[in-house]
Amino acid sequence: MNTIEQQLWDYIDGNLDESSKKAIEEKITLNAEVKSQYEDLLKLNLVFDGLDLDEPSMSFTRNVMESVAMIPAPVAMKTKVDKKIIYGIGGFFVISLLALLGYVFYNVNLEMPKFDLNVNLDFNLGKYITPTAIYAFLFADLVIGLIFLDQFLRKKIAQK
Amino acid sequence: MEQKPTDLELIQKVLNGETDQYALLVKRHQRFVFTLALRFSKNREDAEEIAQDCFVKAYKALGTFKQTAKFSTWLYTITYTTAMTFLRKNRLDTTSIHDEGTVLQLENQTSSFNANGYERQDSHAFLNKAIAQLLPDDAVIITLFYKGEQSLEEIGAALHMEPNTIKVKLHRARQRLKEKLQYLLKDEVKELL
Repeated sequence: MNTIEQQLWDYIDGNLDESSKKAIEEKITLNAEVKSQYEDLLKLNLVFDGLDLDEPSMSFTRNVMESVAMIPAPVAMKTKVDKKIIYGIGGFFVISLLALLGYVFYNVNLEMPKFDLNVNLDFNLGKYITPTAIYAFLFADLVIGLIFLDQFLRKKIAQK
Repeated sequence: MEQKPTDLELIQKVLNGETDQYALLVKRHQRFVFTLALRFSKNREDAEEIAQDCFVKAYKALGTFKQTAKFSTWLYTITYTTAMTFLRKNRLDTTSIHDEGTVLQLENQTSSFNANGYERQDSHAFLNKAIAQLLPDDAVIITLFYKGEQSLEEIGAALHMEPNTIKVKLHRARQRLKEKLQYLLKDEVKELL
């Protein structure tokens, strides 16, 4: 829908690029009918601009302030997220991982097995490569791919 | 002369604990929020309830307001969603302007103006009557565009629509408003325009 009326409204609203603006200005100058339509729309625009806003009741502000008085005061998101909590959660995971690592090292048998030259090279790979394993592998690849894509897009947005 | 604090300065003060400063924000935007609510509810009591609810919601969520956009645009988004929820809950009558009933109602109103000698009501009164008879979406877009100092992009953000959709809707809303004015004013529309 791009009638002459819409083009005139776009011109009045200032939504046209330079070339379209020049084209419509030319039409207004050369065509008496377009000129008259443009003048009518200008007048209509002035009427619409004179629109009045309605006034709420006198007690409106007081009623709002009474309602918000019962609500806890708002705080900025930055102050809501306490850094100590973040560090606490991070610390908990680090300690848990260290404890797990310590437990593993404590229980591990560090004795070297006797060296045997008869190494069995028949791994029977067919036993491990099942459809489920392939799907799991592809799914993990997809997740990793999405993570990288996300990081890449974030960097691109940040650069803008 | 003391300069008025900006919306962002007032928000910062509220977030820093000066909650009474919120009253200034309410006073600054209440007429507009109330008018938008009225465009949906067509009833002053309901509009006041919606507008009040909007300001309470905005207060609760003030901490999440990203100060990259205008506070007014954010507030109008809240107003729009609150009013829509209210409309759905109350199933208010939002019939199309092309419905027979609406036209009949319009004709009756026009004749009552003439019968009571109200022909000389000022253009503002007629304009407000005409806009009250538009569909809520049309009325809101017209109000946001002419009185909210909002660009097509900002109106789109507030109403969850693309700027191009808003442009087309604004064009249609203007045409409908013109038709409504012609209905209400009959011959006087030429004088008014």
